[in-house]
Parts: sequence; C-alpha cells; structure tokens
Amino acid sequence: MTDGTGGESHAWYSSYPYVIMVRVEQATIEQAAGRLAALLTGGSTRVADPFATNDLTYEAEPIARPLPRLAPPPEVWAVDGGQALVADARCLQLLVTRAARVRFVGDTCVLEDEGELRATVLGGAENRQAALAALSVGGIDPSTSVDINLLRDHDEWAAIARSVEEAEPGAVVLVDGDLQPDWRIPSTFLAELLERADRRQVLLTAVTKHSSLSRGGGPLLGWLEREAETLLGPRAMWWAPVARTRTDVGGVQVVAARLDPDARFAFRIDLPLSVDPEPALGALSALCDDAAFPGYPYALSVADRLAACPGWLRDEVWSELDDHFDRLGVPLEVRDRAFADRHSLMERA
Amino acid sequence: MTMSNSRGRLFGKNVLDGVFRAAPDEDLFLGELLVAVDEQTGRRYLFRVVDVSYGSEHREPGWAERVAGTMLSDDARGEAGAHPLHDQGRRTYRVADCRCLGYLTPPDAAGRQEFRKPKSLPTQFSRVVAPEPADFEFLRTKMGDLPFGHLRSGETVVDFEVGIPGRSLASHVGIFATTGMGKSNLMKVLIGDVLQAEGRYGLLVIDPHGEYRKELPRHPWAAQRLRTYAARNLPNASRLRISLAELTVDDLRTAYDWSRPQEEALFELERFYSSLGSVRQGTASGLAWLLPFSQLDDLPGFREVDLGNRVALNTLQVVHRRARRICDLQCISADPAVSVGGSILAELEQGRVVLVDASGLGSTEEVLVGSFLARTVLDRWSAAYLDDPELHERLPSVAFVLEEAQRVLSSNSDRESNVFPRMAREGRKFKVGLCAITQQPKLLDAELLSQFNTFFVLGLADERDRNILRSSAKQDLSASAGEIQTLMPGECLLVNLEAPFAVPAKVRLWDDVVRSAAPPPEPRAVAPPNISALVD
Repeated sequence: MTDGTGGESHAWYSSYPYVIMVRVEQATIEQAAGRLAALLTGGSTRVADPFATNDLTYEAEPIARPLPRLAPPPEVWAVDGGQALVADARCLQLLVTRAARVRFVGDTCVLEDEGELRATVLGGAENRQAALAALSVGGIDPSTSVDINLLRDHDEWAAIARSVEEAEPGAVVLVDGDLQPDWRIPSTFLAELLERADRRQVLLTAVTKHSSLSRGGGPLLGWLEREAETLLGPRAMWWAPVARTRTDVGGVQVVAARLDPDARFAFRIDLPLSVDPEPALGALSALCDDAAFPGYPYALSVADRLAACPGWLRDEVWSELDDHFDRLGVPLEVRDRAFADRHSLMERA
Repeated sequence: MTMSNSRGRLFGKNVLDGVFRAAPDEDLFLGELLVAVDEQTGRRYLFRVVDVSYGSEHREPGWAERVAGTMLSDDARGEAGAHPLHDQGRRTYRVADCRCLGYLTPPDAAGRQEFRKPKSLPTQFSRVVAPEPADFEFLRTKMGDLPFGHLRSGETVVDFEVGIPGRSLASHVGIFATTGMGKSNLMKVLIGDVLQAEGRYGLLVIDPHGEYRKELPRHPWAAQRLRTYAARNLPNASRLRISLAELTVDDLRTAYDWSRPQEEALFELERFYSSLGSVRQGTASGLAWLLPFSQLDDLPGFREVDLGNRVALNTLQVVHRRARRICDLQCISADPAVSVGGSILAELEQGRVVLVDASGLGSTEEVLVGSFLARTVLDRWSAAYLDDPELHERLPSVAFVLEEAQRVLSSNSDRESNVFPRMAREGRKFKVGLCAITQQPKLLDAELLSQFNTFFVLGLADERDRNILRSSAKQDLSASAGEIQTLMPGECLLVNLEAPFAVPAKVRLWDDVVRSAAPPPEPRAVAPPNISALVD
C-alpha cells in the first residue's frame, strides 16, 4: 500500500484503511496555522470521527452531565496489547506481539500476566497465509491482508475473551482503546463476546486515551472539557453521550467522561448499548483515583506497562534470533545486509 | 537459606562502588554497613551506604512530581488520601549508592576469613543483607588498646568495640568537629584509656577552660595516673611555674603574631641582653631579659643609648607591652631555679597523664606555655633517641593534646621557630605525637595535616572542612561527605592506617566510662621489715 506520494504506508495510516485522506493544500506554515485555528475555534458543531472504522450515529449536541462516583466493582480485569518490530528487511519483517492481562480483586492485584510473545514473519504470500493460519479467532477471511494491527488486535481480543470467561459476575473487563477490533476480525466474534459478557453479567468496556472524535473539525473531548468546566465547575466529574454504533454486534454506545475531579483529561469510553451508562461509569470512576494519573483506570495502566515491548525486549528477541541464525548457518554478512538499519547507519555517517 | 534479612539486590556500578535496589519502605541510613552476598564465589562484600535516592518503575519525565502534586492538592483540600498511589510497593523503590569497602574471602579449612580491598565485582543481583557479627571479626585485631566506642552502622550501634592502638598517639591524632559534636567527650574517653594503660603511654593535655580538670579526677585511675598543674591557685593541682629562663624567643614567636620589624627588635634585645650577661642584670639565658626590659621606664632613652636607634620606638613599645604582660603572669617566674618542666617530664616518662589547666591565661599565653612544654618534651625525647637509644626504647609514646590547634598549625604559623610543625614532622620517630583538636581543620596547613595518621572525624558542617580532611585522610573519604555532614553528636568516622577503611563509630560517653572503669589494682602489700632478723 502506498500513501500516494510514492512512499511506503505507515502503521498509523494502514490501521484506518477505509479513510480516504484528502490532502488539504497549505503552502506555508502560516496558512496551515490559519486553517488549524479555524478548525479549533470555529463555529461548526458537527460531531464526527474522521478515523472511525464503523458508522457512528452521533448525538446532535453532546452535553456533559454530572457523574457521581459509586462503589468500585469487586473484580476488575484489564487487557492491553503490545507489539514490536524486531527485524526489518522491508520485504520481510519479524514482528512480536503479546497481550497482557491483570486482575484486581478489591485493591489487590491478584494476576499479572504479561502474555506470551508471539513471533510472526510477514512478507510474501506464504508468510501471510502462515500468519493467518496461526490466528485462533475463527472466521477471518483467508485472503485478507495481514499486518501488525491485525496481529496485535487478534491477541488482545483473544485475551479479552479469556478474561470475560474467567471473570466473576459483577466484574468489569477493561479494554485499552475502543470496542472495535481490527476490521479483519469478523463481527460475529465481537457479537458473541458481548453477548457472552452480558450473559455472565460482566461489563466489557473500553477506554480510549486519545480519541479522534471531533466537533466542527476540532477535538470533541477538548471542547467538552471546556464546556463541562463552565457548566459544572472545574472539579466536576461528568459524562456525555456521544454516539452509538455497531448495531451488527448488538450495539455499542460511545460516551465521553471525566472520571476523577482531578483528571487532567476526559476520555472516550465505549460501553455495550444494553448497559446503563451512568452507574457503569460511576463504578468505573472509582477505579480512576490513582495519584499518578487521576481519571484513568489504574488497572489499565498496569496492563499497558506489562504489554509494552520496550527496547530491551526487542534486543533480547534479536539476540535469540541471532542464536538461531548461528545454529542454522545464516552468514553474518547475509543477516547484516538484510536487517541493518540503513536509515540510522546513514544518519550516523 | 532464609531470605528474611534481605535488604536489597545489587544491580549496578563498578568495582569500587555499588548500587542496590531496596523496597520503598526499606529504612536505609547514610553510613550504614551492609553486605552483598556473592553466592557464586562465596565472598561477602562489605558496603557502606553513601547516598539513598528514590526510584520508580515509571520512566515518564515528571512522573513522581505529578504524583506528589496530586497528593499535595488533596492535602490542600483536606482530602488527604483521596488519590492513593496504588501498588506503591511495586511501583516505587529506593536506590542506595554504596562504596565498596572490601570483601571477606570464603572461610578456609580452618574457618579463617581474610578481608581484602575490593578488586573485583560481586555477581550482579547479589543479595544485600545486614552484616553478621562474624563479618567484623577481621577488625578485631586492628582496633588497638585504646577503645573509645562501638562500631556504628548508620544509626545502629553494633556490639563491637572499636579503638586505636596506643602507639598511634605518636603518629599524631586529629579530632575534628564543630561545636557540640563531642570533641571533649571523645578526648576525655581517650585520656581515660591512657590513664588505664598502666604507663604504656603519656599524655600532656593543655586544658584551656578547666573542663578536663573538673572531669578527669572522677576516673578511678586518676589518683594514680593523673597529675594536674594549674596556672593559678586551684585545689588538688600543683602550681604551674615556668621560669623566664626556660622560655625562648621561638616560644614568643609561636605564641604571638610579630611583624618583621618586631621580630628584628626581639633579636636585637636578645643580643643586647646577652652581651650584658649576668654582670649587669644578674640574668641567665632564655627570656630572662624580659624582666629587666619590662621594668624599663625610659624606653626612648634605652632605644637611643642601648640600642643605638636600631629599633623604631613604636616597635619597641609593642615588645615592651607584651614583655610586661608575660612577666605579670602568675605562672611565670623570674627565678631560674623555679620550674615545673622537670617534674612534668618525669611524670610523662612514667606514662602518666599530665593536665595543665590554663584557665585564666589568655589564648596567646596559653600557646606560650604550650610551646614551652611541647619543646621541652620534644627535646627530651629526641635527645634520648639520639644519645641514649636504650632509654628511648623504655620511654612511653607521648602525645601533646592541644585544643584550637589551628592557632599553631595553620599555614601562617609554619615557621622554623614554631615547635608544633616540627613536632608534626619529626615527632613520630621520637615517639612524640600531637593530638590536635579543632573545629576548623580547613585552617590547618595541608602538609602538616598529612602527617596525621589518625583522624577522628565528627560532625562537620562546613564543606571546606570536609574537603581538606578528605584530601589528607589515610583512607578514602571521598564518598563520605554526606555521612560526615549528618553525623550526630558522638558519632564519628575513625580514619587510620590500621583499619582498612574509615570505621564508623559511636563514641562512649565519659560518664559511662567513669562508671564502668574497673578500679586500679591495689598496690602490692609490702611485708613489714623484720627488724629482729636484722639484729643479731
């Protein structure tokens, strides 16, 4: 896939395949700044999400309303996925992905599972087929493309499904992001999962730290934060219904919420349509009192830390790969020519 | 193996330094001694904590400040605890920077362990534990026969007695501390040790404020081993009487600041009175001429006639004023036959503590007396060394104890005439040492300070004071600045050549020493002479 300028597509771009990016011609920084200023402060009120992968039905005018904090749920699961590009020969890539899970009962973390690293070679039809064959979620189109987003989301949603199964009734399963798995994962998977969660009285909810929801072209959440502060006061907790989507899976409601009086930001939160948002968010807010990041569920930040694939992990995987190459007799020169980071080498030169 | 005593895990640094991670609630103290147990080699590495800092699993810049800010806001609203830091025990920790002092070899077949300087890295992630009594056994032979306190690990006093060898008195001892940190207590404890040393060592203590005179007699051994002299009439003290004839121009030059013309005037006066000899004035040698000079009424006439105008009148007036003050001192006698120098030497030769109460003397007069006594001792011991080696062998090591030592050991005072720098440089071979006490080591001459083999470093607030000690100490103190700065009264670092590192110690209290000192043995009973057996 190319981005129309002859270059290779970037990961963020390839994760939103349905979006047609229209280049708005701004010749100078000054002109670009003028355009941004107009969007950020303009009078338009149309709510949208330019990167949404599913059709959303928006509220005409999201209005913030007070959110009382309730008792926390007795059990909380949090799931997040991580990935790393270990070796990159452009035509061939070695990726690792994993999905971390944590479980809190009361204030105590009783499970920290950073998830097994799964290595996938991408590049070429054979590798694509092998990668697809290794996925456990059924119903994925065997002719579809495979990239790191599919791999990471697959692992993450498989972990979410396991958590829903293992959670006790009354528990909350938190997902980092939205309730929208990668577009290649069939909707039947999500539909069955939401139904299963509902049947087991487990609340499945997702929190997006940095949402692309917009109002009049500018960030919706920033606007809502300002509006709510004016309307409800600077330390108010609030929530606002924003949209509904995914009728194909039983329905998902999208809200914005500020989950702590000291929260610096409000977040997008996805809930199943069948859930009454206010008590669910009130209970969720009780999980968001951590001093390091008020307003964000602490359990999710633990899962996020566990799932992350930092540089040292990538280096370790690379070392392991090197060992295997040694045993398999791959000459050093061949490895070097294939995987040397030419960008950084040339920058150093 | 039980892991309950684990204090942390070593993770970084080099051969000389270590860094270990500890739990966020691990109470670590500057100066604390800890052991890294190297399971692979069987070695036990001894570390001293030199700094402790915070660590967190979170790498984002400003994370900790943000958390503190949130909690602070809660406090300001009266809602402390509204935002707890969940899992604080896992998200935060402490990092201890340590100086590696050395390591204990694994026990040999006979169970012996050897302490060696650090030359290798302990295995990474070795367990850090609190030391066990056996970890300090190697120190026992190095602690000498003058115990002054107990080993200290941070704020914990370890049941292990520390001290210095008495022979190290001759290689000079420095006691450095700001006011109130325990200099006098330490000195009294050391004097108590010398009292109990049964004559092996002698001490000549100049007591500027009479503090030691009041305290030292409480020691059970004082009656036998302590002799007190005072510059004024005091009970239970002999009068300190020094003949002018015993003093020298060098003593004057040590005690007073003289300008170059004033020094020339001193020499001119000495020459003049020497030329008169005893014929005209009835004077002997030394500064005996100070008396007739101080009694002169017609200074201008004396200057013109006797000195041939070779000395300016105002210069002569300064010398005259000082001469009068000296001659008026109670402890100065014009009679050349009067002197305590001989008896003080005799006491020191028998390994006694001689206390000279100089209260009532001004600072300069105190130095004048000190200079005379120091010179007398140094001359006696050096003469024995040169002329009678057998006698010198029998003489005890002696030390001259002087408070506010910067008065005579500063770089300004390092002149040929000053006996104290000479004592610092040459005294060791004659078994004569200096015990210099000062609050301001920065004022001491660095070269002279380097002659001191034993430092007692107590609390010092001034960085310049710590710096000069660091550069002159016989063990590495470079990482101990923080510890020295935070020493509490009575806590000290002992730095000498015996111990392989600066030993942290807690000095005993003088009251406890007095209370616990065993009394001296009763004098052996002498059988009454059997007269009848002698009479046939």
